[in-house]
Amino acid sequence: MAEEKKYNPADFPAEIPYQEGDPVLSIRHVDITFGSGRKQFKAVSDANFDIHKGETVSLVGESGSGKTTIGRAIVRINPCSAGAIYYKGRKISGKMPRKEARELVRKIQMIFQDPAASLNERATIEYIISEGLINFKLYKDDKERVEKVEKAITDVGLLPEHLTRYPHEFSGGQRQRVGIARSVVMEPEFIVADEPISALDVSIRAQVLNLLKKFQRERGLTYLFIAHDLSIVRFISDRIVVIHLGKIVEVAETEELFAHPLHPYTKSLMSAIPIPDPILEKEKELFVYDPSVHDYSVEEPSLVDIGHGHFVYGSPSEIEKYKAAREGK
Amino acid sequence: MATEQLKKIPFDLAKFKETSEDKLFEFVDIDTVTSERITAPRYSYWRSVLRIFFKKKINWVVLVLLALLFILTFIGPFFWPYSKFENVTDASLQNLSPTQCFDRFGFSLKWCLGTGQYGNSIFYGLWSSARTSLLLAIICAAINMVLGILMGAVWGYSKSFDAVMTVIYNIIANVPYVLLISVLVYVIGAGFGPFVLALTVTGWLGIAYFFRTQVLIIRDREYNLASRCLGTPIVRVVSKNILPYMISVIVTLLATEVPSYISMEVFLSYIGIGLKSDVPALGQMINDGQIGWTTYPWAFWAPVSIAAALTIMLYLLGQNLADASDPRSHMQ
Repeated sequence: MAEEKKYNPADFPAEIPYQEGDPVLSIRHVDITFGSGRKQFKAVSDANFDIHKGETVSLVGESGSGKTTIGRAIVRINPCSAGAIYYKGRKISGKMPRKEARELVRKIQMIFQDPAASLNERATIEYIISEGLINFKLYKDDKERVEKVEKAITDVGLLPEHLTRYPHEFSGGQRQRVGIARSVVMEPEFIVADEPISALDVSIRAQVLNLLKKFQRERGLTYLFIAHDLSIVRFISDRIVVIHLGKIVEVAETEELFAHPLHPYTKSLMSAIPIPDPILEKEKELFVYDPSVHDYSVEEPSLVDIGHGHFVYGSPSEIEKYKAAREGK
Repeated sequence: MATEQLKKIPFDLAKFKETSEDKLFEFVDIDTVTSERITAPRYSYWRSVLRIFFKKKINWVVLVLLALLFILTFIGPFFWPYSKFENVTDASLQNLSPTQCFDRFGFSLKWCLGTGQYGNSIFYGLWSSARTSLLLAIICAAINMVLGILMGAVWGYSKSFDAVMTVIYNIIANVPYVLLISVLVYVIGAGFGPFVLALTVTGWLGIAYFFRTQVLIIRDREYNLASRCLGTPIVRVVSKNILPYMISVIVTLLATEVPSYISMEVFLSYIGIGLKSDVPALGQMINDGQIGWTTYPWAFWAPVSIAAALTIMLYLLGQNLADASDPRSHMQ
């Protein structure tokens, strides 16, 4: 493989010009590594994408591809080893003034994958939902806090009488809605939803997805939706980012991507979507992705815009092929 | 294809409605409020702990016995003042059996367990000694537990503190405990205060290390990450997210700590590096009694059985409380 491009920290100033209409979140040449020395492992390399206000962008890839790692970098849990993340023109990766970092915690919230693990089992639902409010003192008096919490819990379709209960008394879907209530009550601008429905029963997935969409409509929220199930992603997202082994391989609007999957990995993901028709499903030909089709020994691959807001990762010759395939139809 | 096949099957709705089975059923609207309601009785952690604890009959028995023993040790010495050397000049009073005492003094509580080698009353001595030992154990356990749990919580939570503390622990934990205590007692002198200091100066380290491992297990769980995303300060993460999970661990520790300090005092007094010889303590009494324990068994077995009763009952009670405080046992 060709030598990777090196970026200077000076290429990422603490502030970049930002105005209304620009993407709220920009990820620029982000590398995320774990461990150090010989045990170092690069989970994400040279990630680039933008998220606009009010948009739902889905991050799709297999287990271990770095989806969650990127999501956690946005909420500042995982540090970036190179590159930068900008939120409204302000660099949010790396060191930040304490006050700004705190404000960012309120603005960018996270919904976790496993509702069984992400709620404190020894706290009541009231404390769990109030936790963020208490941290930021987002209420005048205790009466207002209780009102806010009660509104939050009814907004997610649960009952105020649940507030005195403990998480283990709830079903998976109910717990996930508590998790949503606790982030939404903070009145965030941006939510990182880390596979919020993959641990849920199929019958209640739609309920949780509709709830997320409802909040987006009502409050103009922006989502980064992390998932591995493309059929769900199609339902919820405006744009899709496909990631494979820490590298972003394709970015496009949802219908564009479903109509013209170009990268072989995306094609294999598409072909893996089950069709709810036994005859078609049986006759379907599975496309298996073979990474050895790429020859990057001579040419250096990169993520290139091929028009139609469609980005594909590949070497120049591959990009030509992809362009022809896109336009040839 | 399939739908076309379905269409061919004649379906008469009017006839379908006529069938008797259909009449037995009626459509009910989905009630979203009722479907979310939880009918299980309300859960309260501490009430469940007490319920499980008192369900065992043995706990009632042990609790009553222990309460009796505590009343005797803490209130007894006020009624039965003990002085080890009050009869030291009268050689005829030394090592008398209970019957010999009754012959001499008539029946009284003071002589019901005979006398020791200084002509001292064993019965009176027992409660004063038990009070010293129990007080020592409770104070040492309290200091070590509080220090150990607080340090252990920070030790487990902070990665930079962990590196420093682990080195300190490895050095101190390798110094033999008895050696350390005997050196300390020689340097700062014998007595109640120095003895407490000797037992607590490094005693908390073991507890802190044990606690650190427990904290480490739950530190990176997702709910702690969620608290971080909500901006919860570390102090509240420790007090709300970590310590509540540790209650059964703390009770288990307590169950072993208090009895272990009673045994520790007994052991150290027995080998002669404990309290001053005129301070009544169970270890001291056992040490005095063991010289002639075959000839004058009462002077030896009385303190031994009180020490054993205290440690066994405290341990039993603590273990059962620890079991009850494990929320997994709360399921009915």
